[in-house]
Amino acid sequence: MGALNSEFRFGNFVGSIVQLVLFILAFVTLLVLPIIFFVLFFVPLPVVDGQVLTPYLFFSMMVDPSRTIPVMQFLIHTDLFRAAVFPGFAFAALIAASTIFIERKLLAKMQLRVGPLYAGKIEGIFQLLADGLKLISKEIIVPSGADKVIFWLAPIMFVSTSAAVVALIPVAPGWVAADVDVGLIAVFAILGFFPLIILLFSWASNSKYPFIGGLRALHQMVAFEIPFLLSALPAVIFAGSLNLSNIALSQNIFWNILVMPVNAFVFFISSLAELERVPFDLPEAESEIVAGWLTETSGMIFGLIQLGNYLKLYALAGLFVILFLGGWYGPQIFPPELIPGASTSDVSLLRLVALEGLYNPVTINSIFWFTVKTFVVILLMLITRGINPRIRIDILLHTGWYKLIVLTFINLFVVLTLIYGGILGPGGLISVK
Amino acid sequence: MADAMFIGLSILTIGSAIISLESRELLYGGIALAVSLLGIAGFFVILDATFVAMFQIAVYVGAVAVLVIFTVMLVRSPNTVTKRETVKRKISGIILSLAFLALFGAFIGNSAVSQFSFSDAVPAVDIKEIGRELLTYYSPVLIVLAFTLAGAIIGALALARREDIEEKNEPAK
Repeated sequence: MGALNSEFRFGNFVGSIVQLVLFILAFVTLLVLPIIFFVLFFVPLPVVDGQVLTPYLFFSMMVDPSRTIPVMQFLIHTDLFRAAVFPGFAFAALIAASTIFIERKLLAKMQLRVGPLYAGKIEGIFQLLADGLKLISKEIIVPSGADKVIFWLAPIMFVSTSAAVVALIPVAPGWVAADVDVGLIAVFAILGFFPLIILLFSWASNSKYPFIGGLRALHQMVAFEIPFLLSALPAVIFAGSLNLSNIALSQNIFWNILVMPVNAFVFFISSLAELERVPFDLPEAESEIVAGWLTETSGMIFGLIQLGNYLKLYALAGLFVILFLGGWYGPQIFPPELIPGASTSDVSLLRLVALEGLYNPVTINSIFWFTVKTFVVILLMLITRGINPRIRIDILLHTGWYKLIVLTFINLFVVLTLIYGGILGPGGLISVK
Repeated sequence: MADAMFIGLSILTIGSAIISLESRELLYGGIALAVSLLGIAGFFVILDATFVAMFQIAVYVGAVAVLVIFTVMLVRSPNTVTKRETVKRKISGIILSLAFLALFGAFIGNSAVSQFSFSDAVPAVDIKEIGRELLTYYSPVLIVLAFTLAGAIIGALALARREDIEEKNEPAK
């Protein structure tokens, strides 16, 4: 607690706040409201329950329990909600945030430390919030001689590219932000942007450690891209489709990992390399090259890149689940109704609490199992970080180019034999449909 | 909607292509080239060929652009591009390329390509049909292509391999 300024007067403080409030009120009345009305005049408004959804109707529906469900139902089925909130950005960011906290606690326990402890009384549960506030309030230092345009653009590109990968991952039947026919290829195409962004950012930092880290990242990602793509191929052959939802749907009898364990292993290793996680964290090897390509990042630039990294972690773990762990399939554990007898009752508040019309047991079940499986894969990645040392760069390249590519072919041949032998696949003995 | 997208993509593609040619800074030229290639992928998406679009992104942005930018960074020196084109040469170049464009436009407009008619119900190109044809009727072509590519890669490896530094790199057995 710093001492107060001697010229401080409480009256002045209150006065400044009142002035600010008046200013905001004037601003809203004179500028914001006219703009909103002007825009609403031209934007075609959607129809909900047979009525045009104007903002007034929206607010009155939100406070009326009997009419809240239709408007919510409408809202969660808009494309914007899908991209920004549920299977898209906010959901992934939430998982990313919990991953960061779990990672810090888990690694601390594995190394006989305590980890975050003080923020938020219970086991440092608010540590992440404190870190986020700290990152936002920190000054962003641009190194002298840096290429300013690329230096500012690259972190934003990094996050948006990660979010683009996240948008392709389905979490339940029909619940995906972008349902692309060639989903798997799209994922790999978008992942191909990362080496470019990292290389440009490391060059723009105008410092030698970032550039070394950027070159390492480039080598590593290019070396592991081919086994990454090849290891996903047998799942495509089974499903007969590149669409990620169809690949998940094709595993309703057995999980793909039972038939192609080697490929799942290769995919896991390659995704670790793609994510630059230990043992493949050469691009940011903190004991050799300061922090690799992240050396010159500070404040929110670092925060954005970390956010992008963990979004990517979620996306690749989700991809692993979709390709090998049976997607969203799991035993049905949710009841058909949240509150038994709510759908026939007359009390509208009870129907609201039971989420009548919103609650779909199959979808909720799918989301639950998908999230659980994704967290298991993420935990595997975290544990790998806890128990492995960093490997040398020549071993890394040797692993990528020589060993993993050969390993993917073994399982590819096994799968092709099973399909041509008429045992699995479309029209096989253990047929999917 | 599609028209607005087409115009936007055209501006993006042609604009970044012009920037990539005109930029004094070689690195910005490389980035503009990547954006231009991305715009071409956008055209493929408009044409309902998402498969080709994704490979355009994966190969041209993910590999070729990275290679170009990497090379620019390695050979970077402050005054690589010092020669300025004179206005006369610039204008004559533009006129020449426009004439070339008109010539090709005339060729294509008079060829059988303009006779094709597309309907919304049936996709113009069925990627599954192409795959089936490649593996059945045109399989010899596929095999020859595969051998050519394999030969090219092996040749490139043989050229890139240097005997004199081999012992230093390989660990002692």
